[in-house]
This record gives sequence, C-alpha cells and structure tokens, in this order.
Amino acid sequence: MKFIQFYFFVVFFCSSFWINAQSDSITVLDEVLLTDTRLKGFSTGQNIQTLVDTTLQKNGALLTDALNFNTPVYFKENGLGMVSSPSFRGTSASQTAVLWNGININSQFNGQIDFNTINTGGYDNISVRGGGGSVVYGSGAIGGSIHLNTHLGFEDKTRNTVFLQYGSYNTLDARYKLKTSGEKWSLSLALARNSSDNDYELPGERGKNQNGNFYNTGLDLGLAYRLDSKNILKLYAEIFDGERHFSLIRSSETRTKYQDFNSRNLLEWQNKSGKFTSTTRLAYLDENYRYYDNIENDDYSLGNAKSFIAKYDLAVELEENLELGTVLTNTYTDGEGSGLAGETRNIFSAAVLMKHRPWEKLQYELGFRKEATNSYESPFLYSLSGSYDFSEVYTLKFNASKNFRIPTYNDLYWNDAGNPDLRPEFSRQFEISQDLSFNNFSASLTGYFIDIEDMIRWLPASSGNWEPINEDEVHSYGAEVFLNYGLKLRKHHFKLNGTYAYTVSEDAETGNQLIYVPFHKATGSFDYSFKNWSANWQGLFTGEVFTRSDNNSRYNLEKYWVNNFSVAYQFKKWFKLGGRLRNLFDKEYMSVENRWMPGRNYSIFLNLNF
Amino acid sequence: MKKISRLLTFGLMGCFLFNSCSNDDDITDDNTPDPQGDYSDGVIVLNEGSFGDDNSSISYISHDYSTIEPDIFFSVNDESLGDTGQSITFDDEFAYIVMNVSNIIQIVDRYTFELVGSIESGLQSPRYAVIENGKMYVTNQNSSTDPDDDFIAIINLETLEVEKTIESTPLEYIQEEDGLIYVQNAAFGNGNEISVIDSNSDEIINTIETNEELNSFEIEDGILYALSVSSLEKIDLTSGDVIEEIEIETGDASDASNLRLEDDMIYYTVGSSVYVMNENAEEAPEEALFSYSSDSRWGAMYAFEVEDDRIFIGDAGEFSANGFVQVYNLSGELLEEFETGIGPNSVYVQD
Repeated sequence: MKFIQFYFFVVFFCSSFWINAQSDSITVLDEVLLTDTRLKGFSTGQNIQTLVDTTLQKNGALLTDALNFNTPVYFKENGLGMVSSPSFRGTSASQTAVLWNGININSQFNGQIDFNTINTGGYDNISVRGGGGSVVYGSGAIGGSIHLNTHLGFEDKTRNTVFLQYGSYNTLDARYKLKTSGEKWSLSLALARNSSDNDYELPGERGKNQNGNFYNTGLDLGLAYRLDSKNILKLYAEIFDGERHFSLIRSSETRTKYQDFNSRNLLEWQNKSGKFTSTTRLAYLDENYRYYDNIENDDYSLGNAKSFIAKYDLAVELEENLELGTVLTNTYTDGEGSGLAGETRNIFSAAVLMKHRPWEKLQYELGFRKEATNSYESPFLYSLSGSYDFSEVYTLKFNASKNFRIPTYNDLYWNDAGNPDLRPEFSRQFEISQDLSFNNFSASLTGYFIDIEDMIRWLPASSGNWEPINEDEVHSYGAEVFLNYGLKLRKHHFKLNGTYAYTVSEDAETGNQLIYVPFHKATGSFDYSFKNWSANWQGLFTGEVFTRSDNNSRYNLEKYWVNNFSVAYQFKKWFKLGGRLRNLFDKEYMSVENRWMPGRNYSIFLNLNF
Repeated sequence: MKKISRLLTFGLMGCFLFNSCSNDDDITDDNTPDPQGDYSDGVIVLNEGSFGDDNSSISYISHDYSTIEPDIFFSVNDESLGDTGQSITFDDEFAYIVMNVSNIIQIVDRYTFELVGSIESGLQSPRYAVIENGKMYVTNQNSSTDPDDDFIAIINLETLEVEKTIESTPLEYIQEEDGLIYVQNAAFGNGNEISVIDSNSDEIINTIETNEELNSFEIEDGILYALSVSSLEKIDLTSGDVIEEIEIETGDASDASNLRLEDDMIYYTVGSSVYVMNENAEEAPEEALFSYSSDSRWGAMYAFEVEDDRIFIGDAGEFSANGFVQVYNLSGELLEEFETGIGPNSVYVQD
C-alpha cells in the first residue's frame, strides 16, 4: 500500500514538471557532453579527481593499477591481476560504487566490482568522487564512487590513437581508440587487450608465480546523433571478456580459473527545451561469471544476472542560479547461478535534487532519495552540500549525507542461507574540504567521518549454515590531501601530483582497526619534459596493515614503497617510443598475506596518433 | 660498545647457567631412553589458518603448561606449514600433517618437528589419514562442485607415491582396527555409511549402514560406535547387528558431534557443551558435563579431544584472529586456557 502511494506521489511530481517543460523556448546544447551530467553538476561539496587517458597509459591496463598509483583508494590485490577489492576511506569492497557512463555496474551477486576485471583502455577518462553519493548513484556510494566515462563530442574531426606496450612476463597491453565526428554525429570506438603469462619470480626460494596467467579484451562503442538543436540520441555499448587463472602459493595446490563475460548497453535520449533538460536512459546489463575449481575438469560454478534499467532525469533551471531536478530509476534484475535459484527483483527509486547559488560565492545543494521494492526495506536518503569561495584562492566545502548499500543476490537468496529479512547497510557521513589554488598550484584537504550501521555480515546460523545478518557497525574517519603543481620554464615542463590518505576505520564494538585498511597511503608522480623528451616517475606508499581482526601486530603486512619510472621520445608528431621500469628498486612486497607482487620489470611502449 | 659487551657477557652467562641446569636434569632423569626432541611430550594443536592464505600453524603446549610456542613448524624449519592443515597422523617416528588446500602431506620427525619430506602429488583436498601395512590411506574430497568424486589415496610410505586410489563418496574420517580400514562415507551432514577396506587387498570388503547424517565414529572391542546428528548406535562388527541405539536430544541449535571413547567412557559435544556417559549406558545424559561460552557460532568446539584425564576444546572465533584452546579435567573444571593460531581444529597429546 505504502509502495503504491509513494509511486503515485512520484509520478505526479515529475509529470507536473514535464507539463511545464513543454512550454519553454529553445537553447543550444553544449558541445562537450558527458553522459553523466550529474557528476559535474551535483558534486558541490565533494572532490572529484579525474584521470585522463594519457595518465591511464602510465599504468597497467587494469583499473587497480591506475587507481592505486594515482588516488587515495587502497587496494587489496591477491597478486598482480588477481582478485582485487578496494577500500575507499576505510569502507568495505561493496561500499564503493562503480558507474559506467552514469549506470551503476556493481555486481548483483556480491555488490562489488573486482577492479582487475575492468580494462581502463576502454574509457576516455575515469573520475574518482570521494564520499557519499547514493542519492544520485544508488547502492554502494559510501566510501566514494568511480566513474568510467566515454566522451562523445561534435568536433568534426577524426583521430586514431594506438598505444602498444610489451614487457616482462610476456605482458601485452594494447589499446586502440577511434574518435570521429561531424556536426551532427559522433562515434567513439575503443578496443583494449591485456594479456600476461604473469609468471614473475617470487622472492626467496619460492620460484615463479604459477598459474597466474590472464587475458582480457574490452570493446567499447559510443555513438551520438543530433536529431535537431533540442534532441540528441546516444548509444553506448561495452563487451568485456576475460579469463584469469588464479595464482598458487604452492605448486601442489589445485589450479583454478575464473571467467568474466559482461556486456553493457545504454541508450540515451537527451532533450533540452529552454530551461528543461530531460534525459531518458534505457540500459541492459548482462553479468556472467564462471569459476572452475579445478582446471583439469570441465565443472564450473556460475552466475548470470540480467538487469534492465530505465532512468528518467529531468533538470529545470528555474532561475539563472536555481536548478531543480528529479531522477527516477527502475531497475529490474533477473539473476540465477550456482547456489541461487532464479530470482527476480524490481527496485524503483526517486530522487529530488536542488542546486542554488544565492550569491556568486555561495552555492548549496539538496538531494533526497527513496526506493520502493518488495525485496527489502529501504531507508530515506539525503544529501546536503555547500561551498563558499572566500576568495579566488580559497574555497571551503562541506557535505553531509545518508547513503546505503543494498543487500545483494547472495545475501538475500543464497540457497538455504540467504536472509530475505535483510535491510540495506546505511551510513551517515560528513566531510569538510578546503581548496587552495593559485598560479599553477592547487591543494585540497578533506576531513571526513562515516558511521556505517547494519553492515551485513555472514555468520553461522542455528541450522549450521552461514547466514547474513545486519550486525556490524563501523566508524571511519580520516583525511585526504591532494596536491598539484605545474611549471613551465622555457622548454622545460614540470608537473607534480600527490595524494595522501590517513584512514582510521574501526569496528565499533571492539574498537579495532579493520583488517586490510592502512592508516597511511600516499601516491606521487612527477612529469618532466624537454623538447621531444619526456620522463615520468610514480611512487606508491602503503602503510602497514593488520591481517587479524584482533589487531595482533605479529601478523601485520609490512609497509612498502614502490616506484615506477619511464622515459619516452617523440620522434614525429604522430610517433612516440618509450621504455618503462616498474618497481624500480625491486621491492619485495605484498598487499595480501602470502601473495607476492612482481619485482623489477620492464616494458617498451609505442604511441601512435593519426 | 660498553652496553653491547655487557649484554654479551650476560648472554654467555645465561647460556652456561641454562646448559648446566639442563645437564643436571638429564643426569637425574636419564634412565629411560625417551625419544629426544623439543616436542617429544606435550600437547600439539593444529591450527588450520584462514582458507587460501597459507597461514596454517602448529602450537605446542608442554604438559605442565609452562611452555607455549605458537608456530613450531615455522620456528624449526623456517618455512610455512601450508594452507589449511586438516589433521595430523602419527606413527612411531613421524607426524604426517595433512594440508587440505595445499594438497600436501608434510612429514616431520614427530619429536623435533623437523621436516623430513612431503607428499605433493596425487592428493586433492585431502582430509584424514591412517597408516597400516606400510601404507597410508588418505581420504580426499576432491572438487567442491562435484560431491561424487571423493577418493581414498593409498600411499606407499617407502616411495611416498600414491599407488592406488579407491573411489568412495562422500568421505571424511578414517580409522584402522585389526588390519581393516574403516572409512566414514559421510561429510557435512550428508551420508550414512562406513566402508571397510582390507589393507592386504586394498578393496572395499564391506559397507556398514548407520543412521542418516553420520558425524563421527569410534571402534573398541569389536564394537563400532557411530554418532549421527541425534543418535548414537553401537554396532557389533562381527554380526553387523545394531546392539543399542541411544537417542540424543540436541535441541534445534546444534548437532551431536565429536565422538570420543576414553577409559570406558563415551564423550561427545553438542554446540559448546560436552557430554559424557558410560560405555554401557542405555540413555544419553540430560545434563552436560560442562559448557563454555563462545562468541563464535561456527568455530565453537572446533577442536575436541579427551586424553590423559584431560579434555581439550578449541575455539576458532571468527577465523579472522587467533583462536584458543581450553583444558578441563574429567569433572569439567577449567584448568588452563591458551591462545593458539587461527582456527585450532585438532589436539594431539604426545606421550
């Protein structure tokens, strides 16, 4: 009953907007079109760090490597290329949302994204947005959200980019991109392939990394067509096909492998009529995995989830400095797999947004969201942000929000164990940032506090089976620092970037720091170019982590510094050749107990632009 | 410099003192040709560690509880034991440590825990082992996705090679009695049979049926004691008849587990409670001998042993930190408690 009332309320609310929308005059659309317009438009109190493709090429093809070396997000990686899960601001792996062109793609089965199943070569830029974002981005945006974006412009140009890198362990990283557009249409095509024998030498007398080979291929397509000055149609499609053998600690272990096959499709219609911009999206996501628990056999366990998403986003500029918006989303999922009988679920959500700039220097935002579904009880979410420019140099920002992570298919429906009475995990969080920027220098300092309740934890139940319950409470707090500096002295160009994160994430009951959350993490990069020469240094520092929930330090993983270095020469305007040294000082390190990472290794790379 | 030399002197003195003390001890006690080694007597606890992390370990506790060592395999051999230690089988000289995820059996001198060899092929998710006729019989659960592929590997202890396998599903505990190998065809609350293998022919010669959800079994004086989820059967091994069947009230919370026979008494556990009755008893006891409180519902009573007038229980907590072992006397009074490694799953008493 409640559900129906709520539905009517929302439909009424948005249709009244829609009727108004018809009567307005015409304006010209922006040239640069991010699919995810909300990312820029509705992040007033928060920091967004964007990695463009030239930065992405400085790291391995997989998303873990790109983010680990450039952002404050910490990764727990079971050896290079293996299972990788993030901890963003001390939160769990399912508390970071990943969005593909504005669509939430976290797994329906476990609520996470394995960051080694995303090839960065498929995207034009990747944005990292710290802090809560569930009002706009839905489940999992607690620690933050990662946005994989394809850019479609109408520049009337054609550009081909080829990046080829080959190195140690027979590792191939090939990325091809085609961007072509007219005044009315735009096409973006990206093809990325990454493969490796991954048989690096392990420290001591352990021999080589065994059964760690992997490959993946990603194809990304974007197509835009401008129907008239008010309407644009866009289509995005992605296919990812990957197989990883899971590496062994001892050669006698049973060899296993894991296959991912995901396809994502999004059709978008944007209409801009005067003060109204409406965006209608239809998406179809197909998520598949197969796990072979012994590669000698053909037996595997599997999961398949198909999601149909309809999203309607309406923004209205009431006045020059006041914008209202509403986002309606319906997600229907049909999932099945080993241990899961076929289950469907439908989630409807409505969000209302407001952005106001009463004075030139002050801006604030309000957002609310509520879901309706038969699968679980969903909390009312909110977000309140503000920013004030004290001067051109100094800005103060804040955000307070309530966010959630919904129970997954495994949580709700796992055979004899899923708990249909689960509630979503939810967080109340607050952050405050100061931005400083002058000349070529910018810096930002953020402090945050997150209280996460009703965390879902799998515990053994009376039946002897494991059962998930809403039990844990976690308090995270900490600070993030970003530094950027650029300098140009005649033909010498310098660029310096740094991040630092201090993270405390405590189990509220025991007061212990969560395992695999380092107190300290820092990254740095330095770019230098002179005439046709360019050089890049990257550094990653990860502090000591606990591996035991009682914080017994005897079993801690040591802190580590890892450095990469590369040099390149631009032979022609369209042709660049370079070499890269990774783990320059041959540091022996691991981010998961007994899962060593590679020592010093080499690659050469080639860049073609035409 | 001064400090260092002082430390050295102190250290040297300590050595002399320590050595002379132990020499004295040796002289007074040196009448029995006892096996030599740091771990020749005391209590051995196998800690399985966390699955997939290769952090299994062995804790040692001396009989007088004065010495506790957290990871003797590592401290003796300077290498890690492996992934998910499942059980240890002893013969006169060696201890065979069955590593479930590593698919290895580590062979150590049972008194020093020095690594002398290992069996690294032919095993797939090995669980338990017994030794008879110069051969070791190991139950293997094989693939987790296929419940019907379990097998027994028969290993020649001279060559350490698997010589034969016998398919039999599902599989768990294995015991030897009078030259016959008894294998429990029941695991994780599924199964109701015990297969009997002749250790000369290495063929299954008999199958004994029990109640459903067989948990564990023991053999003594020609009688098989089979503990199922809520009953205990006594089966005459000569005639195959069920002599006695005792109902066990467990409540909804837990199953009866961990059958042990010791000094004419029958011990078993339900949840975090220990029950005891006489071998001739016709009814199960209503009252527990003792209970302990555990925060862990899955890892409670993760290890259980009765030996030398003592009862040992192990608790694994949430498997994300070290567990503990408690020692009780036969009246159920707590004597000692020790921290172990992650997931203590079995206790062995050296004598």
